[in-house]
Amino acid sequence: MTAAWRLLLGAGIVFFVLLIGLPFWWVVTGSFKVPQEIIARTPTFIPRSFTLQHYDLLLSASAYGTYLLNSLLVAAASTLLTLLLAVPAAYAFFRIEFRGRATLYRLILLAYAFPSIVVLVPLFATFARLGLVDTRLALVLVNTAFALPFAIWMLRAFFAQIPPEIEEAARLDGGPPLVVLWRILLPLIAPGLGAVAIFAFVSAWTEYVFASVLILTDALRTLPVGFAGIIGQYQVNWGLLLAGATLAILPVVALFALIGRWFVTGLTEGAVK
Amino acid sequence: MTGAASGRQGRLAALLAAPALLLLGAVLAWPLLSAVLLSLQDVRIVGSQGAFVGSANYEKVLADPAFWRAARLSLGWVLANAVLQTALALAAALILHQGFPGVRVARTWIVLTWIVPTVVVVMIWRWLLSTSGGMINPLLVSTGLAERPVGFFATPEAAFMSLVFINSWRWFPFIALMILAGLTRIPADLHEAARVDGAGPWQRFARITWPLLAPTLAVLLVIGTLLSFNVFDIIWLLTGGGPAGSTRTLPVLIYETAFRGYRVSEAATIAVLSTLVLMAFAVLATRSLALSGADR
Repeated sequence: MTAAWRLLLGAGIVFFVLLIGLPFWWVVTGSFKVPQEIIARTPTFIPRSFTLQHYDLLLSASAYGTYLLNSLLVAAASTLLTLLLAVPAAYAFFRIEFRGRATLYRLILLAYAFPSIVVLVPLFATFARLGLVDTRLALVLVNTAFALPFAIWMLRAFFAQIPPEIEEAARLDGGPPLVVLWRILLPLIAPGLGAVAIFAFVSAWTEYVFASVLILTDALRTLPVGFAGIIGQYQVNWGLLLAGATLAILPVVALFALIGRWFVTGLTEGAVK
Repeated sequence: MTGAASGRQGRLAALLAAPALLLLGAVLAWPLLSAVLLSLQDVRIVGSQGAFVGSANYEKVLADPAFWRAARLSLGWVLANAVLQTALALAAALILHQGFPGVRVARTWIVLTWIVPTVVVVMIWRWLLSTSGGMINPLLVSTGLAERPVGFFATPEAAFMSLVFINSWRWFPFIALMILAGLTRIPADLHEAARVDGAGPWQRFARITWPLLAPTLAVLLVIGTLLSFNVFDIIWLLTGGGPAGSTRTLPVLIYETAFRGYRVSEAATIAVLSTLVLMAFAVLATRSLALSGADR
């Protein structure tokens, strides 16, 4: 590698670290600064003050804690349901030969070819008839439905990597297909499960549109919708809003620190196969 | 495989796939069909009944300048995002494909912008770009790059470009990882052979990386188009379609028509028209990709 090339690479790395990292650095450190420092004319890179007053106000004066809990609940349930539905479906699609499976598979991927807002109006009417409007279950169903096609597609690569002999041997040992799936195949596709879990959790965690229409009671609001309300209410109380942003980032970052590697593998492996 | 065995296999497959298909049918397919029905009726408030009016809604929408303006804005939105997003993603993917200390950490954490809620993304950038306080404007003014704070959302053009930047900022890492996957698929010995033959980095990129990566990029362009067309929350939360309707893309128009204007059937009509265009685009694009042998 020539010196000029190395310099270019270094400059590129610095550019992307700043592009992605700097906003988050400012937000997280800003949430601990006193108000005077936040609105200072010359922004400080390294904070000069430390306070928890924004967090105190956020958690005592608004229903932020409730929103956070609702979001965690909805995202966790959506993740679980996505895994429960996607694994058997992916197994059926990629390990079992049946007529029409190619057509069905293509139909499923069409789920991303229309604007999701299209289904919002009819879905609201259907959910109203079923008594599902204003329940967190409605959000779980919607989030799962939108995560499923991608989840099934992602698991494909992981199922494809398992040599057929392993499954064959397990079946000859006398296990019915479901036991083989549970005991032999699931441990082999663990990274794929991690990738799907992250995708489902993140989709549910960030979803705004459906949550804003399908939930009417404030106490059932998820974080994106609740926080949007707080933003409208505390327009220029930047400290409070920065604290809210930091707390909203925290859970996904923690999850990503645990199994983020798997997600990246899942995404890249999925595209390879 | 004997007939009986394949029949049993088929039943097992149906049983395993049924729960997922049922949910997809109930939450996606059925409402999609209902939207088509709604567009042929005259329903005003969500959940109420309306008379069958045939193609009246379609005639009304197609004669409405607001629809065509939103369609033009959506086209501009998709194109601008495609350019910025792909350029950033390609550069990031090429960097992540190199070996440098910390590359594994970088590959994982690059998607940080995608895993936080859009409402947080919106809040972050509204603060950073704010004219009163914020971060970017004080920096621009104190370094002398701007005389007075820049109104990033004040004029129609500025608001549109700011939104494109923020949306691309959120999505480019996701696309970058997909491109990275395409890059790792290119056999390393091709590069090695070219290096032995004396090809420089630029030549290797132009002769090996680019041609072999083109199919991946084409597929991602289709996916990216669908993704950016659908973006609603970033626009709605940042500008609400303004100023002066300059960021009212089709999804925003659909939402406003249904939930602000209480003209549900008209909203469904716009939605059906958008879906038809998007699906036609997706089918045509994937077909031409398949013909050029890039499907795989």
